[in-house]
Amino acid sequence: MTGRPRATNSNKATGNMIRDSALGLLPETLGYYMALNRNIWESGPLSPAEIEIARLRNARKVNCVFCKSVRYDIARADGLSEDKVAMIQDDFRDSALSEREKLILAFTDQFLNDPGGLNEALKAELLAVFSANELVHLSMVVAHFSGFSRCAVALGGMPDSLPIMEISLPQ
Amino acid sequence: MGWVSIGNDRNSTIGVLPDIAATFAALYRSLWTQPHLPAAVLELCRLRLAQLHQCAVELQRRDCDIPADKRSNLAHWNIHSSFSDAERACLAFTEVYAMDTQALTDDQAAAVKLHFGDAGLVLLVEALGILDGMTRLSLLWQLPATIDHPTA
Repeated sequence: MTGRPRATNSNKATGNMIRDSALGLLPETLGYYMALNRNIWESGPLSPAEIEIARLRNARKVNCVFCKSVRYDIARADGLSEDKVAMIQDDFRDSALSEREKLILAFTDQFLNDPGGLNEALKAELLAVFSANELVHLSMVVAHFSGFSRCAVALGGMPDSLPIMEISLPQ
Repeated sequence: MGWVSIGNDRNSTIGVLPDIAATFAALYRSLWTQPHLPAAVLELCRLRLAQLHQCAVELQRRDCDIPADKRSNLAHWNIHSSFSDAERACLAFTEVYAMDTQALTDDQAAAVKLHFGDAGLVLLVEALGILDGMTRLSLLWQLPATIDHPTA
């Protein structure tokens, strides 16, 4: 990784973390990107805490320092505690997370590690617990946040660490 | 038909969530009409991602027309004369992005910016995130290559 930003947005700051990022250089896509981000959080069947579990697992695997440090207020309000966040580790299968939460992490890992190698056992577990709409939502959650994390990593300017920061959904 | 829903391609799979499907479709379309990176260059990068992921569905898809010789020689972009310096810069960036995003170097980013500026680099990075994600989902959803009918 590099600590030096590879692209800079010198437009006037708006206070919106996405608009003020390098993505603000792309007005042709920015509005659509932000609309999708809102719908990912607000328009699917998974709860904010479940979305946050998948987002944080992705952030840790992709090693996006920004994404790892963020906590969405709507996920905390939905019951996602730091104790639970601490269980989002490689040994999550042995943790006190619920079966549903463990499967969210297993799906996220499959997407990141070996998307073409899904085995029948995990597929059966997922189908037994989640509806079709929930599986599609989880898929879009993971794909969206994977792209966002990789974007932050690829554009550089990443510090070695950041404190935990609670934020609201960018509007 | 994939296993997650009744959908048999990307659009019908995402389509079970209409609001997300609509905003995703709008964002996806905007990638191919923005002024910062030519759509044909982006298509080369998308197809290279599909090759690296060995994803038949995404190799079958055509989001933008490109010359046949570039499509057929894409795996050898670094030595084949069909590819411009600008295309090579983006393809080199794409390959490292796909294998280990953290391994991208300032020089690789600078090579893209030399041809397309800061906005071109950001567009490439944003697009790769979306294209890589959808390629992974095509694999994870086990979509059949022969049924998906992509649109340009």
